[in-house]
Amino acid sequence: MNFTPELPFAGGRVRPLHYDDVDALFAIYQQPEIPGQRVLDNKDNLTRMVDLSVQMAATQRGMMWLLEVGTDGHYEVQGMVSAYDWQPSQLRTMLRVDGLPALSLQQRAAALKVCMDFMATKYHLRNFGYQWIAGQDDALKGMLEEAGFSLAATLRDGWRTGESSFADVLQYHLLRGEHKPVPGRLGEQDNPGQNLAKSFNSGQNNGGGEA
Amino acid sequence: MNWNFTAGNFSLRLPLTEQDGDALYELMSAQSRVDHLPRLAMSVEAQALDELRRVAMRFETREAAFWLVEGLFDKQLVARVGIYKINWMQLSAQLQWELADAVDLPLMLEVIPPLLNFAFDELNLHRLEMRLRAGSQRHEALLQGLGFTFEGVLPAQLEYEDQSVDLAVWSYLSSDRC
Repeated sequence: MNFTPELPFAGGRVRPLHYDDVDALFAIYQQPEIPGQRVLDNKDNLTRMVDLSVQMAATQRGMMWLLEVGTDGHYEVQGMVSAYDWQPSQLRTMLRVDGLPALSLQQRAAALKVCMDFMATKYHLRNFGYQWIAGQDDALKGMLEEAGFSLAATLRDGWRTGESSFADVLQYHLLRGEHKPVPGRLGEQDNPGQNLAKSFNSGQNNGGGEA
Repeated sequence: MNWNFTAGNFSLRLPLTEQDGDALYELMSAQSRVDHLPRLAMSVEAQALDELRRVAMRFETREAAFWLVEGLFDKQLVARVGIYKINWMQLSAQLQWELADAVDLPLMLEVIPPLLNFAFDELNLHRLEMRLRAGSQRHEALLQGLGFTFEGVLPAQLEYEDQSVDLAVWSYLSSDRC
């Protein structure tokens, strides 16, 4: 069963992880962009990570995409997009992009947008958060604001970078305008669950209520 | 490690499932005492027993610890205070409290600093934060009086009674202590 879709965007695509992506994932984690994040020293955990990416998507706890840049038939892995701390009942999730240095801000923004569009359409998520950690590239903050995120809070020493060192976390949020779902009896709204072939928004009765 | 301790004229102790249900129900059956979380007030006593069992399980895994705050002499329950979502990697946790109506800043200044010291010195945590419904004036005034720092408002964090609820974030760091 497939729970994570492939989604194209201008200049690339995001797609689900596969076992044969372990080398590409290992390359990404050789250049961690989060302060304090260790360089990965073995690939064993990455096979487990591919398993987890399926389990998390199936249970609506998170979703991971490989981020590829290129055009049809010629793609190059440049990073990952992850949704984590997914709270289906609260209609929100956090997002994160881990990119190689060659990944541009425009490509990051485009990948984020296509993932948010999917999760908003498929799962009614309306609130997307992103944490920028002091020490990361300052330009990421501008990218987030241009993409529609707003700074909501600065979490002092919210991220541990070493044995006794910490970094501030700037937490951004983007609130979407889609209608909230309304309760219905089983089958009444052709609830799509994890079935990628169905969507709340594809039919006339989309189950949406007034915001 | 002894998780029970005294703070001024009050004792902080871990609750006992078999004996503390009635007092906890009395505290948490008024909506005004849990509006800031926000959650619904308890409406049947069995909920207090269920809450105590859940808290005990979360304590077993060291994911959370909740204390009953009682007068040293009259043994009256005046508050429940807890830390939860303890992140042992990040050395952080979230703080939560439910307070009797009479609880004021002088009482909290007796109780909370020793609790913070316990969290920072005994548990080796670095950051405690409270997330509460934005606009909870009584509680935010207490946090300010206790020396917490306002960090912002996280929008639409909870769907509660058909409303999206924003949560204000206040924090206290181990390095904030004088």
